[in-house]
Amino acid sequence: MSTPTATTLHLPSAVRVSRWAPPLLVAVPLCIVAVAVEGFHSGFPANWYLGVPRWFDSLSNWVTNNDSTNFFLHHIVTGFGNLLNSATNDVVNLLHWMTWVGVLGAATVFAWIVGTWRTALFSALVISSFGVLQIPNGGPNGISQMWPSAMTTLALMTVAIILSTIVGIPLGIASAIWPRVSRALRPVLDLMQILPAFAYLVPIVVLFSIGNPAGIIATFIYAVPPLVRFTELGIRSVKKDVIEAAESFGSTRGQILRNVQLPLAAQAIMLGLNQVIMMALSIVVIASLIGAGGLGDPVLNALQTQQIGEGAVAGLLIVLMAMWLDRSSAAFGQRATRDRTASLRNLTRRQHVGLWGAVLVAILVARYGLSLGDWPAGWGFSFVDQMTTALNWVTNEFTGVAGPISTFLTLHVLNPLQRWFGDVPWFLVAAFVGTVGWVRGGWRRGVLLAGCVVLLGLMQAPAGYTFQGTTSYNFVAWNDAMETLSLVVVSLVLDLAIGIPLGIAAYRWRTVDRILRPILDFLQTLPAFVYLIPVVTLFGVGNVAGVSASFIYALPAAVRATTLGLRAVQHDVLEAGQSFGSTRWQLLFKVELPIARPYLMLAVNQTILLVMAEVVVAGLVGAGGLGLDVVTGFSRSEVGLGAAAGLAMVLMGIVLDRLSQSNPDRGRVATS
Amino acid sequence: MASSEEVQVSCRDVWKVFGPNAAKAIESGDVNLPRAELMAKTGCTVASREITFDVRRGEVFVVMGLSGSGKSTLVRCITRLIEPTSGAIDLCGHDVLGAQPKELRELRRTKVAMVFQHFGLFPHRKVIDNVAYGLEVQGIDKEKRYERARELLAVVGLAPVEGSYPDQLSGGMQQRVGLARALAVDPEVLIFDEAFSALDPLIRREMQDEVLRLQERLQKTVIFVTHDLDEALKLGDRIAIMKDGRFVQVGTPADIVGAPADDYVREFVRDVPRGKVLTAAFATQPHGGETPEEVVRHDQRLGELLPVVFGAKGPIGVVDGSGELVGILDRRMVIHVLAGREEPSVPEELPA
Repeated sequence: MSTPTATTLHLPSAVRVSRWAPPLLVAVPLCIVAVAVEGFHSGFPANWYLGVPRWFDSLSNWVTNNDSTNFFLHHIVTGFGNLLNSATNDVVNLLHWMTWVGVLGAATVFAWIVGTWRTALFSALVISSFGVLQIPNGGPNGISQMWPSAMTTLALMTVAIILSTIVGIPLGIASAIWPRVSRALRPVLDLMQILPAFAYLVPIVVLFSIGNPAGIIATFIYAVPPLVRFTELGIRSVKKDVIEAAESFGSTRGQILRNVQLPLAAQAIMLGLNQVIMMALSIVVIASLIGAGGLGDPVLNALQTQQIGEGAVAGLLIVLMAMWLDRSSAAFGQRATRDRTASLRNLTRRQHVGLWGAVLVAILVARYGLSLGDWPAGWGFSFVDQMTTALNWVTNEFTGVAGPISTFLTLHVLNPLQRWFGDVPWFLVAAFVGTVGWVRGGWRRGVLLAGCVVLLGLMQAPAGYTFQGTTSYNFVAWNDAMETLSLVVVSLVLDLAIGIPLGIAAYRWRTVDRILRPILDFLQTLPAFVYLIPVVTLFGVGNVAGVSASFIYALPAAVRATTLGLRAVQHDVLEAGQSFGSTRWQLLFKVELPIARPYLMLAVNQTILLVMAEVVVAGLVGAGGLGLDVVTGFSRSEVGLGAAAGLAMVLMGIVLDRLSQSNPDRGRVATS
Repeated sequence: MASSEEVQVSCRDVWKVFGPNAAKAIESGDVNLPRAELMAKTGCTVASREITFDVRRGEVFVVMGLSGSGKSTLVRCITRLIEPTSGAIDLCGHDVLGAQPKELRELRRTKVAMVFQHFGLFPHRKVIDNVAYGLEVQGIDKEKRYERARELLAVVGLAPVEGSYPDQLSGGMQQRVGLARALAVDPEVLIFDEAFSALDPLIRREMQDEVLRLQERLQKTVIFVTHDLDEALKLGDRIAIMKDGRFVQVGTPADIVGAPADDYVREFVRDVPRGKVLTAAFATQPHGGETPEEVVRHDQRLGELLPVVFGAKGPIGVVDGSGELVGILDRRMVIHVLAGREEPSVPEELPA
């Protein structure tokens, strides 16, 4: 036959071979060399290390010694820390000065103005719950009331959110205007989002030492990226013809920004701010680990001392605070962007002044007339017993189910998987990662990722590492990373196996969607560590608790991305499919799922990152691996080890993210 | 028609080449290569090539072409919303290409206003704030600009909806807002960029009538971009037919229909009802001293003249604007011209 047929027949296999051939041609010989030099050992050679823990220990030492003499440390870092500290104290003092009447009144009035009477009622109930739900005296911190802790958390949130706004919005604007800024910021933001919060706790503590400023900085790093992104996106997605129209009337650059771009981007910016608030609340407990006070403390104590009941009360209050701030800020966002359908109170300026004036008068009367202060101790009850009873009930009822699951997961899944990962020689892992990375994103990515794998192994401390007289525990980064990896893999598989079918079901059946939506909404408002409380109740501390928490934490993302991808399939394509007489399932498997593939890949990527973040947080409840290293590093004040484990987490996060992310040129999510 | 000979917009040899080193591509003459070859060699595409035209005060100048012919790019070059690659543009006596940013802004603010295809309204501003936008960026205080905006909203019949937001209005109403916004700054030149293309046929006709009505009153200089030949013939005092970035023909509607410059234009105007466009001038022969029984004006449409043509027995004289006899209407030629069978020729001494 003619030549064209022959070529088309051979083309697919030729293409496939050519994609895998170059990386394999590099990787296989390198592996052979490695075997020849080193022999076939499992894991990572114990005598290969960079001494990273020592670097950090020395750095920390140097910082401690030069705190007052070095200009940068003394004036910039410490100065900034002091600024944050005094800002927090000011807000705390303000909240206490306002008395409970003022806090309650201000929150309720604000919610009423921006939202409906329901929003206002909900805010009032949440604020009251800070006072009503209490812990008995003689608790771990002798706390009887949660009010002061709640106010401290609120103040920390306020300062962190203000800091994020001051930095995030201008950065977003700058990157929308200047592509160069955008290009420079993108990898930084990427990294900030891939990083589990645990990874940068130690360096922050080295610079700012334990305390509120460190907590605020950690919160800021964790929470600011979405604000920058949403601001940039909002400004950029303002339609070109609108800008051209403004230009044609002779607007200056500043006028276009002020009159057109910023108002039209307001909705996106408010969405970003809402994200900031939610993310900031979700690391309250982690921030407590480095000395930020407030509601996170009792939770942390409870998790570490297994006094779950008291932690559960504080955890509940954090969840309530998250829901309150979420609803109020979302309502504010809608209002600020002229959502004419929402119930919008068109108050005149005079009415505003009158309303807030009334709040101020109430505060003054409460403070100086009635000499009120924090929520009266008598107005409330200890909620710990009820919490404990509830948790005990759960434990008793479900131990029959949870026990076997836990045993099975530990003995037959986690342990073998961990052993198996641990047995693979490091160069095979590096070769695998490099090859897949090369195929998915070009040789640069392949080399980079293989490099990350090797670097991860090199993070370890030499056996018998001592610093300033104390002998450290044995930190073998490779083995701990493999343990973390086994936890990640198990949670990921569970998430995908359950999340994708659920996502399909929610797309397919309206009822499923209606039932799932509030549940997913609720799960997504929950701060990351809150999952740990019930999970620890059920499974006790350890790896299974970590896997379960990670599974629940990442499930909403897997479900949502699947549904979203299927919904994005264009209607006319579906009609075309139907017109050929496809059954519903043929349509799903031959049209909808293939078209939604980029979203499913995104679902995998997002799930991996979320699982990774939660698995390391689960170090708090004894889940092993790198997370536990960071926790141990803190509890034993071994800065170097904690920092090295954090760096190992960074490397692992980069590898997992880039492996599960296809080449941006080939991704079709953006265009479809 | 043009009420004075004063030129308000003048383009000389304007080029717009998209791509790297566009200026070099023009200098080296590469731009004369076929499209694909030019792309392969330099990575450039030509949107406007050596465009030269003048628009006089009060004239409606239509730029017509299919999509991709470069007409929208060309009108954006006039105010440098798109930077032309080379050439010279004069707008109300100002050198546009030589203008500094501040001077250019001043030109955009006061001399020229645009109406856009997709309206380009500001979705976050009320109708009245949309109309007042041009005055707002000029720094005119709120009371004055609202007064002016209300005036214009009344002119386009939208006074009752001044407090609405654009997305609450129909497409036709939105474009009236666009029109009012352009008129509010009292520009000397109005540019319509496919302004009515996105509207339904009936609404479109309504808007065209609106423009004609306003034009009668305001006598603005108008540059009107469209891909719709009927619209071009209806509105244009003169029409430029554009193809591949070049003006193929510039002339009155009758010129374009009656004397197409090439096959491209001929194909375009094939289905036009010729009686409504072509004038007596197209069927006029030099007179040989006969005494006409009836007299018609040279710019009367042939369609309207049919009763005269077939009612009169003797010769029909054609007179020019001043009433002087310039020729005799040829009955045979009228039929040929209307049927489009024969290339009509306009006598030298007659403006078509």
